[in-house]
Parts: sequence; C-alpha cells; structure tokens
Amino acid sequence: MLKQPLVLHGELHYGGAGELGKRVDRPYRETTTITHGKVEVQRNGKPLQRFSLERAPELQALLAAFSALLGGDAQQLAQYYTIEATQNGENFRLTLTPRVTELAKHLRSVVVDGRATEPYCFSLQQSDGDSSVMLLGPLATAAVGEPPTAVALATLCQNAAP
Amino acid sequence: MTSARRFGVAALWLAALIVLAVVVQRRLVVVNDLRSFMPPAQTAEQKLLLDEIGDGPASRLLLLAISAATPERAAAASHEFAAKLHGDARFTQVLNGETDLSVLDPALLPYRYLLSPTLDHAAFDAPFLHDQLEQRLADLGSPGADLLKPLLANDPTLETLVLAQRWTPAHSPELRDGVWFAARGEALLLVQTRAAGFDPAAQRDAIDALNTAFAGLPDAGSAHLEISGPGYFAVIVSARTRAEAEWLSAIGTLGFLILLLFAYRSPGALALVALPIASGAVAGMAATALAFHAIHGITLAFGFTLLGVAQEYPIRVFSHRRAGTSVDESLAGVWPLLRLAIVSACIAYLAFYASGVSGLQQLASFTIVGLLVAGAATRWLLPATMPAQFTDVATGAWLERARARLDRLPRPRWLPWAVLILAFGLLWIAPAPFWQNDLAALTPVPPALLQREGELRNALGAPDIRYLLVLDAPDDEQLLMLSEGIDVQVEKWKADRLVDDVELPSRWLPSLATQRGRQGKLPDRAVLEAALAAAQRDLPFQPGLFTPFIDDVEKARTLPLLTPPAFTSSLLGARLQAMLARRDGRSVALATLNGVHDADKLAAAIGALGGGVSLLDLKASSEALVASYRERIGKALIVALLMLAAAVTIAFRDVRRAWHVIAPMSLATLLALAVLRASGVSLSLFHLVALTLAAGLGLHYALFFERHTGDAAEERRTLHATLICVGSAILVFGLLATSTTPVLRAIGLTVALGVGFHFCLSTQMARHRP
Repeated sequence: MLKQPLVLHGELHYGGAGELGKRVDRPYRETTTITHGKVEVQRNGKPLQRFSLERAPELQALLAAFSALLGGDAQQLAQYYTIEATQNGENFRLTLTPRVTELAKHLRSVVVDGRATEPYCFSLQQSDGDSSVMLLGPLATAAVGEPPTAVALATLCQNAAP
Repeated sequence: MTSARRFGVAALWLAALIVLAVVVQRRLVVVNDLRSFMPPAQTAEQKLLLDEIGDGPASRLLLLAISAATPERAAAASHEFAAKLHGDARFTQVLNGETDLSVLDPALLPYRYLLSPTLDHAAFDAPFLHDQLEQRLADLGSPGADLLKPLLANDPTLETLVLAQRWTPAHSPELRDGVWFAARGEALLLVQTRAAGFDPAAQRDAIDALNTAFAGLPDAGSAHLEISGPGYFAVIVSARTRAEAEWLSAIGTLGFLILLLFAYRSPGALALVALPIASGAVAGMAATALAFHAIHGITLAFGFTLLGVAQEYPIRVFSHRRAGTSVDESLAGVWPLLRLAIVSACIAYLAFYASGVSGLQQLASFTIVGLLVAGAATRWLLPATMPAQFTDVATGAWLERARARLDRLPRPRWLPWAVLILAFGLLWIAPAPFWQNDLAALTPVPPALLQREGELRNALGAPDIRYLLVLDAPDDEQLLMLSEGIDVQVEKWKADRLVDDVELPSRWLPSLATQRGRQGKLPDRAVLEAALAAAQRDLPFQPGLFTPFIDDVEKARTLPLLTPPAFTSSLLGARLQAMLARRDGRSVALATLNGVHDADKLAAAIGALGGGVSLLDLKASSEALVASYRERIGKALIVALLMLAAAVTIAFRDVRRAWHVIAPMSLATLLALAVLRASGVSLSLFHLVALTLAAGLGLHYALFFERHTGDAAEERRTLHATLICVGSAILVFGLLATSTTPVLRAIGLTVALGVGFHFCLSTQMARHRP
C-alpha cells in the first residue's frame, strides 16, 4: 500500500513486566503506552485513545514478543520466533521469523540491528510486502534519503556507528 | 339390568369419551397469549404494553454461554453454532461478536457516508483528508496495522468502523478469536427468538432447536451450552410447576381412590366415579374450542380447577343409594338438590360473560358446559352402569355415631356473628399488601439462575427487560427526527450515570433529512480527486490506492435515500425492524435501554422532554393490568354470588331456606379469605379462583345439610357423602398446599382451608334444628 518503507524515528521503552512504551517523533508524533494489557495512544492534537489488548488478541502475540525482546528474555522470545543471530564486531543483528500462526499471518520477519546491548533499528517485513523501520537511539535523528529505500535503510542499520 | 349390559354401557361411554377426547385434542389450539386473558386496554400505554408483552424485543432474548476444554475450542464452537443458527427461522437474530463489518450488507456499503455522522461536522476537503491519511499512516506504523489494511483503499476515513462502533452496544463483551468471551473463558452468544418470551410452548421449541443444533456440532461432546433469559425461565418454571403438580396430584388421586374403596367397598365404583367429570372436561373443551377460535392455557388450568366441583356429583349418587330400591328411586331424593346446585352454579358463571374479557368468557363457557355435561352424565348415564351389588352406607355404625356427635354439638345462634366479626377483625389486622399483582412472584425462578442471568446480561451488555423508551410520531420520518433530537439527551443521561445506553432507532438509520444533508456535502469526483491529491502529496501512499474510495463517494452522491423498509430488508435491518411499529396510523419506536441505574430520575428526565417520548415500565404497567383484570374477576364474582343467591331463593321459593344455604357459604368464603390475609398472604388471581371452587363445594354441603327429610338413615347418607367429599378435597388440595411452588400452594391452601370452613359452618348454620 505504501510506495516506500515507512521510516519511524523515536524511542522504545521497556519498563519490565507487561510495560511497554513507544514514542514516534517523525514523521508524525505519537506516544503509545501499554500497561498490563491496557493500551493508550496519544496522537498530536487528538483525544487520548484507550483500548484493551483483549479486544485485539492478534496484537497480543506481537507485543509479548516485543516484551521478550526488550526484556532480554531469550527463552520467551524463542516461543514466538526462530532466532538467527549474527555478530560483526560490536554490531549485532537478530533475524526473527515467526513460528506461531497468529504472527506469521501478517508478519514475514523482524530484524533488529544494534550495537553492544542497544537496539538501533527495528525493521518489520510484512507479508503483503509493506515494511516499516523504527530508528532508535543515535539513529533517531539520523537522516535517511528521500524517498527512503530498503537498501539505504539496511546499510544505515547495519553500520550503526554512532 | 344385567351386569353385561351395565358393563356394555360403561364401555360405550368410555369409548365415546376417548373418541371425543382424541377429536378435541386434534382440533384444540391452545394459546398462551396472555393478551386474550387481559382486560381490553384502556390507556395508550396499556395498549402498547399488551403488544409488548407479546413481542417485547428484550424479553425474546436468550443469553447463551459455551464452555469447552480450551477457550480456542469454545470460540470455534461459537463460530460453528452461530453459522448453524443463522438459517433457522425460529431466531430473528443471532449474535456472537463476529466482526460487525461483515454484517454491513455489501449493498449498503456505499450508504456508509449517509449513515455515519462524520459529514455532520466535517467535509471531505484536503485538510480533513490529510489529517485522516496521516492518522492512517500512524495506524500502519502501529502493531494494529493488519487489522486496518483490508479497509484502507475503500474507506480511508474508516466510516465502517465509525458505524460498527455506533452499532455495538456500549458494554460489549471482550473479543477472543473474533467472538465474545466472558471473563471465565466462555464464549457468549445472544439470540432473539421469533416467539414471544412468555409463550412457554414456543420458547421450548426454540430451546430444543438450540440444543439440537449444538449437539450437532463436531466438538459437542466436550463442550457445554448454557442457556439463560426470560424465555428459558418460562420454560423451566412451567415444567417444574407442572411436574410438581402432577406428582402431588398423583398422590392425591391415589389417596382419593383408597378413600373411595373404604367408603363404598366396591372396586367398580372407583372406575365409574371418574366418568362424569371426565365427560364434563372433554365436553367443556369441545364447546370452548367450537365457540372460540383457540383456547387459552389459563382457561384450561382454571377451568379444570373450577370443574373440580363435579367430582362430588357421582359421590352423592353413590352415597345416597338406598337398600331395596332402584338407583332411580334413590336418586329421586337428591337429584333436585344436585340439579339446583348445578343450575345455580351455571347461572352464577354467566356473570363472567359480562366481564368483556375473552379469556373469562372462555372460562365461563368451559365451566358451564363442563358442569352441565357432568351433571347430565351423573343423572342419566351413571345409574345405568352402577353395580347391582352394593352396601347401603346408612348401615354403617360409625356413621350413626358421627351423626349423633354432630347433633350433640352446641350450635349457639351468636356463633355466625362472632365468626363474621372475627373475619373482619382478621382482615383489619392483616399485613399489607392486600393483593399480589406480580404474577411472576407466584412462579419464582430459582435465585441462582436469576443471578447467572444477571451476570450474562451484564457481560453481554444485553438490554434491560423492564424499561423501554417509547417514541411516537405521525410517520417514520418524523419518528427518526425525534430520535435524532433525543440522541443529545441520551449523551447527557449517560454522563449523569442514569443509564448506560439507549439504543435509538436513528442510530441505525438517520432520518431522510439528515441523509439528504450528508449527501449534499459529498464532493463530486473532480473536487474529491483534487482534494485527495493535495492531501496525499507528502504522504507515502501508493498513487491510485484510493480509487475505490473515490468511486464509492461518487456512488453515494446519487444513491436514493435509505428508507426504513429498504433498511429493514437488509441483513442489519432486524434490529431496526424490532424497534419500529405502526400503531393506529402512527409510527412508534421502542428503544431498549442498557443498565438503568436510576429509573426515577430517568423517568423524570424523560417526562420533562414531553412530546412523543415516554418511559415504559413493563413491570409496573403489567402489574396495573393484572390489578384491573383482578378487579374485573372480583366484580364478576360478586355478581355471580348475587345471581347464585337469587337462583337458590327462586328455586326454594323461601328466603329463609335460601339464607340457610347462602349465609354459611358466604361466611366461610369470607373467613378463608380473612385467615389467608391474616397469615400474611397477599391475594392473587389464583386465590380468587381457588376461593370460587371452594365456594362451589361449600354450596353443595350447605344445600344437602339444609335438606330436611326427617329420615335418620337419609341424613346419615348425606353426612357420608359430605364427609367423603370434604375428605377427598382436603386430601387432594392439602397435598398441593405442601408444594414449594407458590402458585400451587396458593390454590391448595385456599381450597383446603375453604372446604374446612365450609363444612364446619354448614353443619352449624345449614342443618335443620331439631
């Protein structure tokens, strides 16, 4: 549906046990907080939206996987994905392929690039060909070419030098 | 008469009875429509209520919960079950939470721009579309993107979601695997039956259909279906009441037979004693079925109760047989009295015809024909079948002792007056309320089931069954406009926590005026294309992605506006159709309410609106209706008593003798009523019917005791017959009085108590003083 990958700049936050935060600064401003299955979405100039994850069970698997990833719980993560890890100096790349049907229906893969213990790039490849990339930490302010291409993004993420 | 011939007559009689019963049973249409048993509606509210009792949308809802080994399997069962029920004509609606988007009829899809309120406060211009597309981009960047993707190209402003949200109850259950779930892992469903909620027969049919459909599911073995709701309660309560009544009656009948065996020492008498009353019952049903289109279930129940009087006829004949005379000669002495009792009772029941209630007229027809036929059968058929060998009951020594003891009892003349004062005294001190108008209280639903129903209703966000918001306007268009006007008020009531939600008809279908307004705001193709291009300029959507959207808007611009008939013929229309009705050339809508928190304040707020809007309290209105019905029965009974007194007086041509019969009967009835009231019983229709039966029996006691023959043996026979009658009535109805079901207890206790008082007061007041 999109003519180019959707590149988001912002920050992910993991508060432990069921708490997740996501802030997008560009290309739009949005703050999402998930606390114990309750989701709050605040968009620029819009009323706060609240909903329960129980209403959208499809999201639960995705978010459980994210929690496991951000919380460093490899065992839980392995329940949802087959994990393939490569290391290049201090840089790492995790390629996650969904193994549960709820996830596999829409998601082809998640690629996480980072350095040391910090993730810099979250790339989601969807089954219908659309992709989105979330740039975090030092890359949150990085410039990407206009329009962004998959190759340029991959290069940016893999050479995530500060 | 030879015994072979007697046997032949009895066999022919029985055969004729069976044939007639089979014919009647085939032709008989039993309805349970309470409306024919209610007085004609006086007020507009009563009129509406009478219709609502039949078709009230909320009372037709059944609440279902499916539990299985795992929630996934329960969800799968819910999907399969709903799919199976969708084709069943017995259900007008089957909801299990499956996505509402698919419910929107594809033919109605372009109408989303006329149905959704978006265009009331926005226009499809570049700034609005840009804002919307920006939000869609954020949606795509969110984990929920996949849910929205299928909608995006046709509906970038997500009007289908706006409508789905608008059409979802305020508190709908959690969704799991696309279906409703309760907190404890059960899949929830809501089905609306075509049949009325109070009609146990039709509801049983619907419930059987649910169970059969469920049993046919692949996973049925390990899954469990739980049903709840008003219709389900009607079924189980009537089944339970019937089971208990049958059980108690069976014991009662057995006791009655043993009593007869002791009384007449002849097994042949046992078989014969039932024939007259059975003839009366079959004839009564046949006559009612012929005269009226259909017979009401209550007519049958009340009619059989009142016909109980006829059980005494053969007993009188048996007890009064004299040694050394023919049956006809023995009968000659008592038949005039029996005839008087039958005819005067029939005259009394004529009073019911004046009530104007078709159910009461049916009841009178049934009872009058039943009594006449039972009487005639006793007089002309029974003697031909009676065995030649019998014992004259007057020879019993115990009977003479009983008669002597009765004669020795003091009979102070002040006693009746003291009883009268006592009765009034008891009525005076009796605790309020005098009447029990809530008929449901007589057949209560087990509290555990009610509590479960409350839980499910809450979890499902199903509408309140007691209150309805009534909208009334000259035509559909004005009705929908009225509804749109109230929508604002509803938001206020919700904010004030008076009610959780009101499902207004305009929420489903806006008025033509509103639709026209929205249609007028839709831009033409060129304008929309330009606005969309501008809105999309800095956003990464593929070019041409939204062409389906532009096509849909273009289509919507020229659509003929959606009228209620067009809308109700769609898949979604069932909800609206259930709400709208034509009444006396006007349009009326019944909006259901969810979670009524403060009925008084809500009623006040609605009352302040005036103009075609009112709150209907089904419970209060139906209680008012029952009260007015009972008032009619009460009046009819008073007229009946007067007619009875007149009939007896005319027959006797002696006011004094008539007084000796009518006075004990009336006083005993009053005393029974007073004792019931003093013991804290609030009276209902069932008590009135039971009192009437007891009075009919009491009339017999008084009539026979009043007869002065100067023959000690004949008086012993009278006492014998009366003791058997009193004993059997107290036995049968006393057993009913032990029932746990209030309605059976009401009838049993009242008749047993009444019969006891009638007997005592008749011996005191009716018998000839030596």
